[in-house]
Amino acid sequence: MATVALAVDPDRLAARARPRVRLVLGAALVGAAFGALATFGFALSSPLPAASARAFALGALAFGFGLLGWSGSVVLGRSVERVQRTLDTGTDWTEADSRRAMARIAAAGAGAMLAVAVTTTVLGALGTLDAVIALA
Amino acid sequence: MTSKRFVIKRLLLLVPVLFGVATLVFAILHLAPGDPARIIAGQRASQAQVAAVRRELGLNDPIWIQYARFLLDAAQFDFGRSYQIARGTPVREVLVDRLPVTIELALYGQFIGIVLGIPLGVLSAVKQDSLTDHLTRIGALSGISIPIFWSGPLLILLFATYLGWFPTSGRIGSTIFLPETWTLFGTELPLTGMVTVDTLLLGRFDAFVSAAHHLFLPAAVIGIYSMALLSRMMRSSMLEVVRQDYMRTARAKGQGAKITVMKHGFKNALIPVVTVIGIQFGTLLGGAVLTETVFGIGGIGTLLVSAIGATDYPLVQGTVLVFALLFTLVNLGVDVTYSYLDPRIDQ
Repeated sequence: MATVALAVDPDRLAARARPRVRLVLGAALVGAAFGALATFGFALSSPLPAASARAFALGALAFGFGLLGWSGSVVLGRSVERVQRTLDTGTDWTEADSRRAMARIAAAGAGAMLAVAVTTTVLGALGTLDAVIALA
Repeated sequence: MTSKRFVIKRLLLLVPVLFGVATLVFAILHLAPGDPARIIAGQRASQAQVAAVRRELGLNDPIWIQYARFLLDAAQFDFGRSYQIARGTPVREVLVDRLPVTIELALYGQFIGIVLGIPLGVLSAVKQDSLTDHLTRIGALSGISIPIFWSGPLLILLFATYLGWFPTSGRIGSTIFLPETWTLFGTELPLTGMVTVDTLLLGRFDAFVSAAHHLFLPAAVIGIYSMALLSRMMRSSMLEVVRQDYMRTARAKGQGAKITVMKHGFKNALIPVVTVIGIQFGTLLGGAVLTETVFGIGGIGTLLVSAIGATDYPLVQGTVLVFALLFTLVNLGVDVTYSYLDPRIDQ
């Protein structure tokens, strides 16, 4: 049976992946903090399921927008750059910048969605929100 | 030659695009005011009836469960049933019924745009700074600047009301009746839903003429914008190509101006224009929403407007996702064409 030689250098791969992972994880952590705070904040004025739904939907909005923007940048980015060059629009927009920004937004959204699910479950398990406020 | 790897890579990119659109639609509809259970049960329904509908729809589940369920259903093209517009009918069936109308309109609009826009752009570039060039550029600028909600009623007023050349609304003459199926080698098949295609399949030339007559004005409204943008793009691109060294070399070797432009310049100048055609298809679909409303054509655009008005969430979700799918598929086609025109792109 023929063996397939692995042409990828693990060190190079790690070096390439590290900044990307850092970008995504950093944004996800920020998003998670926002998601937890939003759930808690909304829960102060409305029932927990409604607060959770609103906070989750906000996270999903960011995630969906980021994901769509990221894939849009990958699919159309170079073409858009070329069109802009042809039309001489003089903007600094680049596919790489757009991709990075969108990845950040998507990761923040995903982090927020996850944090909302966790926060809601914890708050639900603790009983009423009043108990949490009393604890605080 | 376009590589398989390039096409597969592009096909895989459809997944995050559709996933992103689905998530976005889910989020927006959950942030919008209004209770779907109340809408379905009706304004006069009791609290118990509303609660029963909530249970049935799974609206009491945590939102992340609803999100996962929505994504799983959407992946199987199951968008649920319409709440209001087509009460109880599966959204998929409603979409299958209305989608061909919009596709037909957008295709003819794009056709008019390509057939008129590209030659006008080439002509404008070849005859740079002549009267033809100035007129074409003024026309292109006007076409880009005039919004559909203004050009639509204006064309109706001029060509339908005053001159009486075209009908103001509808898809085919009211006296023409089309069956629901057509026969191919003894097998009955459903019609495509595109009237111009269906009438030809049925061999009804009189009906085809009527359908084309009805479709001309709305397609022209969409086509004007497309034509304007394409001619402007084609002119810029052609002028850029004409200044290239290889064009000068071809001329220096004694090749005629027309042959040089058409043989060496046209294909290269077409590359950015093809990109614009793909990006523009989304604009055409958006334009179809307005055009269908102005001309009273019952396509997916009109359906989306009605569904938003009636807060028919499953129908809105389904329609938007189908729009996204169409847009991405067209862009996939454009990418493949692009890589054929410029083989460096899939390296």
